[in-house]
Amino acid sequence: MAKIIKNRVHMPELTAEERIKTFDEVPLGYTEEQAISEAKRCLQCTDSPCAKHCPISVDVREFIKELSKGNLKEAFLKIKKDNPIPAIAGRVCPQENQCEGICTMRKIGDPINIGKLEAFLGDWAMEHEIREELTIKEKNQKVAIIGSGPSGISCAVDLRKYGYKVTIFEALHKAGGVLQYGIPEFRLPRKIVDAELSYLEGIGVDIRLNNIVGQNISFEELHEENDAIYVGTGAGAPLFVGIKGEELNGVYSANEFLIRINLMKAYKFPEYDTPLFVGKKVGVIGAGNVAMDAARSALRLGADAHILYRRTKAYSTSREEELHHALEEGVHFMELVAPTKILGENSWVKGIELVKMKLGEPDKSGRARPEETKGSEFVMNLDTVVEAIGTRTNKLFLRTVPELKTNLWGGIKVDEELRTSVRGVYAGGDATSGGATVIQALGEGRKAAKSIHDYLCRS
Amino acid sequence: MKHEITSKEDLNSEDYLIQVRAPVIAKKLQPGQFVVLLIHPKGERVPMSVQKAENGKVTMFIKKLGKTSRELYTYKVGDYLENVIGPMGNPVEIKKYGNIAVCSDLVCGHAENYALCKALKQVDENHVISIQTFPTKDVVYWEEELRRVSDEYYITTKDGSYGRKGHYRDMLKQLLKKGNVDMVFAGGQTEEYLKLAELTKSYNVPTKVTLRPIMVDATGMCGSCRVFIDGKMRLACIDGPMFDAHRVNFTELINRLTLFKKQETIAMEHYNKTR
Repeated sequence: MAKIIKNRVHMPELTAEERIKTFDEVPLGYTEEQAISEAKRCLQCTDSPCAKHCPISVDVREFIKELSKGNLKEAFLKIKKDNPIPAIAGRVCPQENQCEGICTMRKIGDPINIGKLEAFLGDWAMEHEIREELTIKEKNQKVAIIGSGPSGISCAVDLRKYGYKVTIFEALHKAGGVLQYGIPEFRLPRKIVDAELSYLEGIGVDIRLNNIVGQNISFEELHEENDAIYVGTGAGAPLFVGIKGEELNGVYSANEFLIRINLMKAYKFPEYDTPLFVGKKVGVIGAGNVAMDAARSALRLGADAHILYRRTKAYSTSREEELHHALEEGVHFMELVAPTKILGENSWVKGIELVKMKLGEPDKSGRARPEETKGSEFVMNLDTVVEAIGTRTNKLFLRTVPELKTNLWGGIKVDEELRTSVRGVYAGGDATSGGATVIQALGEGRKAAKSIHDYLCRS
Repeated sequence: MKHEITSKEDLNSEDYLIQVRAPVIAKKLQPGQFVVLLIHPKGERVPMSVQKAENGKVTMFIKKLGKTSRELYTYKVGDYLENVIGPMGNPVEIKKYGNIAVCSDLVCGHAENYALCKALKQVDENHVISIQTFPTKDVVYWEEELRRVSDEYYITTKDGSYGRKGHYRDMLKQLLKKGNVDMVFAGGQTEEYLKLAELTKSYNVPTKVTLRPIMVDATGMCGSCRVFIDGKMRLACIDGPMFDAHRVNFTELINRLTLFKKQETIAMEHYNKTR
């Protein structure tokens, strides 16, 4: 048996000082040599706990085995079989809660750096133009997919592989959904997103931009022209806390802040036309991935960034790596505070009133419930507030299809097979769950593709 | 998909007309709805009022105001716009209202009111009264066209050099006094809506105004265009753009319109330097 190496092969990164001046990606990526060395640390557990903890059951052990032998193409194809966008998933999956969280090596040292190996293989394949060799047996049936985010992408890929004619309708002027408008370049370079999307077009998926179902094309039209529909519209509508002062200039939803930066490239203003006002001191409400993205973007735009969170760091829902990077870069993290109102002067933000919180008994989610300490309100002076407290399903599409039933949290109601209340119409990803991870959305897109295939085979 | 410019002309020294080929939008767009322009890959998404959507083409009236509108003015017939997106927002409910005053004092309102008047006039028992306001005689445009789709037509100029002197509100007040107005639609300057709302509220006449807060995606995703209606947050892009003037918090909206004043100057300076 090979010698056990407790420590990961170090991932080279931009230093924190370099990072905050640029939107370039933070990890520099493994070289082939480094990737193979890291893969060789894998114990090749016979029960593959990593694959079992992957929402889309990527055959982690097998791809690492091939990689450790230097068989890069085979390794890539092993991932690609289950994951249509490895270069993206490798970068944005919360691996510490999934494959890397259960990795046996964690008991004696660092878990295998599965995410970075996946990203390495995705990038390597892109660079060497390695693609799956597909023989698609064309079928006549047509499927429309609404939304080109992660779940739409994975659903489209599988449906194409089954042979259906697939058209994706995307409301924005660029494809990718949250991968395009939500996740910043320093976590997910757009050239990676573009390359993964070009794979879709390469296998014959028709992506139609600027198509807002319900506005310039009706759901009825789609229903008539297609044999099945998959709704992957995501959870694109911002939530606001609902406190006084949200009308002030300098208050943004995280969606607006990030859309301006990511989709519209406001960080390159005035070379790009979309502006963004970022003051000297930015308070970000929330502590998930989106909050980290907003705070780190604010830093890069020259502001002092403060996360304001009602629980403690340990309860942050962000990826481990993002929290770590944020703190390293100098994002301040204020624990146990909740906003009570935003204060303004001449219609601009000048501060935020916060109340101190303490952790109480666990709530339904199993996390300690934050409770207000009465009378502990205090004011923090700042000039920009970004609210990153979550998103919900956008009603723009849903209101045009009243026959699509919704669930308690406003998402589209689906059964085990991801069938909606309308025959031939399936839904998945954040449109049903109201906000989860890229990888869960990928998984549901694939599951829906299987259900749609079963349905079309029967009909 | 790129969109060809099929027509472009000056309306006056500040405002111009531009028409693009956009068959799907032209087919679907109804009065009250708007489009979003993104003129080139580095451009911003700008919501734009539509004057006419017919025969596969969409016509807009635009004021040379900021960087994008000035840059677009340099485009020629035969050039292409990167993206024309829409229709956005909700259509106006076209039904029997009775005597309807349709008012405007700015390029966007002048544009929107053409299709609105035309549609409202087609309903039996509707009597459409257009009131168009311009600063002075020399800058008046589209008078005949709007007159054709109205039952009554008034023009006012702020300096009295043409038509009646004053703002559309002054004319409207006379009509309200006579009890001749059942419904008011207004488009144009947000700053004027506040007084309009006070006026029509005192006569208890329902009034709808088109709001144009700053937008980005205009599909309900960013929340930039949030407006407060009876204290409740609404998004102008997907809940509007038309709202009950008696319930809108105009002061907050006017403040929010100043958000990027500084950036607008920077953008213009950069444009003038690099063009």
